[in-house]
Amino acid sequence: MLDKVSKRYGSLLALDHVSLEVEEGEIFGYIGPNGAGKTTTMKIMVGLLSSFEGDVRIGGFRMPEQRSEVHGMLGYLPQNVAFQEWRTVDHALMTFGRLSGLSEDEAEQRIGEVLSVLGLSDVRGKKIVELSGGMIQKVGLAQALLHGPKLLVLDEPLAGLDPASRYQFKQIIKRLAGDGITIFFSSHILSDVGDVATRIGILNSGQVVSVGTLEEFRSRFSAGSYVEIVLSHDAGRWQSLKSVKGVKDLEQRAPNKFLVQLESQANMDETIDSLIRRLLETGSRIRSVTPLSSSLDEVYLKYVGEGEKA
Amino acid sequence: MSLPLLLKDELRGFYRSKVMIFLWVGLPLMAVLFQFWSASTQQVFSFTLLSAVLVSSIGGTLASVMLAVSIINEKNRHVYELFLIRPVKRWNLIAAKFFAVYICIAVASFLAIAMGIGTDYLARGGASGTVLKDTLQSVSISMSMMAVSSAAGVLIGVASPSVLVGAILVIYGGNQISAIPMIPTILNVGNASLFTMSSGILISTVLLILAALIFNKKQF
Repeated sequence: MLDKVSKRYGSLLALDHVSLEVEEGEIFGYIGPNGAGKTTTMKIMVGLLSSFEGDVRIGGFRMPEQRSEVHGMLGYLPQNVAFQEWRTVDHALMTFGRLSGLSEDEAEQRIGEVLSVLGLSDVRGKKIVELSGGMIQKVGLAQALLHGPKLLVLDEPLAGLDPASRYQFKQIIKRLAGDGITIFFSSHILSDVGDVATRIGILNSGQVVSVGTLEEFRSRFSAGSYVEIVLSHDAGRWQSLKSVKGVKDLEQRAPNKFLVQLESQANMDETIDSLIRRLLETGSRIRSVTPLSSSLDEVYLKYVGEGEKA
Repeated sequence: MSLPLLLKDELRGFYRSKVMIFLWVGLPLMAVLFQFWSASTQQVFSFTLLSAVLVSSIGGTLASVMLAVSIINEKNRHVYELFLIRPVKRWNLIAAKFFAVYICIAVASFLAIAMGIGTDYLARGGASGTVLKDTLQSVSISMSMMAVSSAAGVLIGVASPSVLVGAILVIYGGNQISAIPMIPTILNVGNASLFTMSSGILISTVLLILAALIFNKKQF
């Protein structure tokens, strides 16, 4: 939980009274343009930045005063995770496991388990610098999971990954959340945030501008303001839909496929009823009528503004 | 708890590095090559003493550059973040690095000085008392200078923002500071070895404490 957290770098106000509450077991997606303060927020949460204003509590413990208690329950994957060049996967994980308080035997066992879950068992003896970017990212996640954390803080975990690795990573995140781990992650790839996050926070210029589920965002912004109609037979009188009450605009996207924009005050259900009636009256046959909701990209741009898309 | 673990870790990283391989082989080799040069010149100091100065100067410079560059690189690549989110005392990280490099170059220097002593003994057939005195003086100079160099490397590594600035500071600044423990020997004061070692330990400790204070305040 962050309460009115502010952080300055010289004259630059990086975070301005940021307040956030992350519930146990949820996947919280944190999005915002470059320089919005996402990494700063995460570094404060994990105790890497200790000079800030406000109150930060993780699992009831105050940061940075009770950082050793927090560090026992927290795993962190930094943006562009880096290891010393001479380390092998096995050796790096053993060191981080031991530093997290595991005995050599416990660390050995956990390394085997975590590498198996992440599909890294084959590269256990390899030098980390010889691995691909996706693999290194997974090793980064492995070190964060070794000591069985309750909270995972992942800074841009999907950045720079190819589509297959991104898909794999998202599945892993969902699986970990299924095991009861709370996940707080940032990403530039909005569709990925939409895919995995149970709740989303939007940060802009150091301020949290909105927090909610994807559905809540969609309902706040133009939810259902578009309806897509696909006809199996077009009687050629689709232009008449323009005169239906609640319709603002009409556009033919393809033969037999139309996009209807509704007025902002229009009642969605009543307008759809009227559209169906009008089409049937004019002799058209309907294949589908689908209300379209806003994508996360549209919601994001409404909060953050055009040209700011990460 | 974390210092022995980190030290073991760093030793594992350093002893196989290219610079260390050069030192393991290069310093003893230089000690032997130096014999040929010294044979053709008029010797003022014993060969052992000159070997020690040469070895500590080269070893100390390499160690301090290696430490500074390694710390700056790791800082800039955010390697320390993964350590600092664990219950690790920050000063343990730099202390482990210092001791790992120092142990490695100390062993390399012992090898080189041992070569010098052996050569001295064979060439001069000197009395064992002289050889022992020279040896003690040589070892104390060598160890003290390298400790100061290494500590300066750590301090510069922690404080410097870039590798270039760090390397320049180490080469020009670190080397000057590391010569301080030589002063008692140059001035030929009584019990020079003791003064040399004391000043080496004192200066190294001060530099390391400064480095730890800066590292503790760093925001990563």
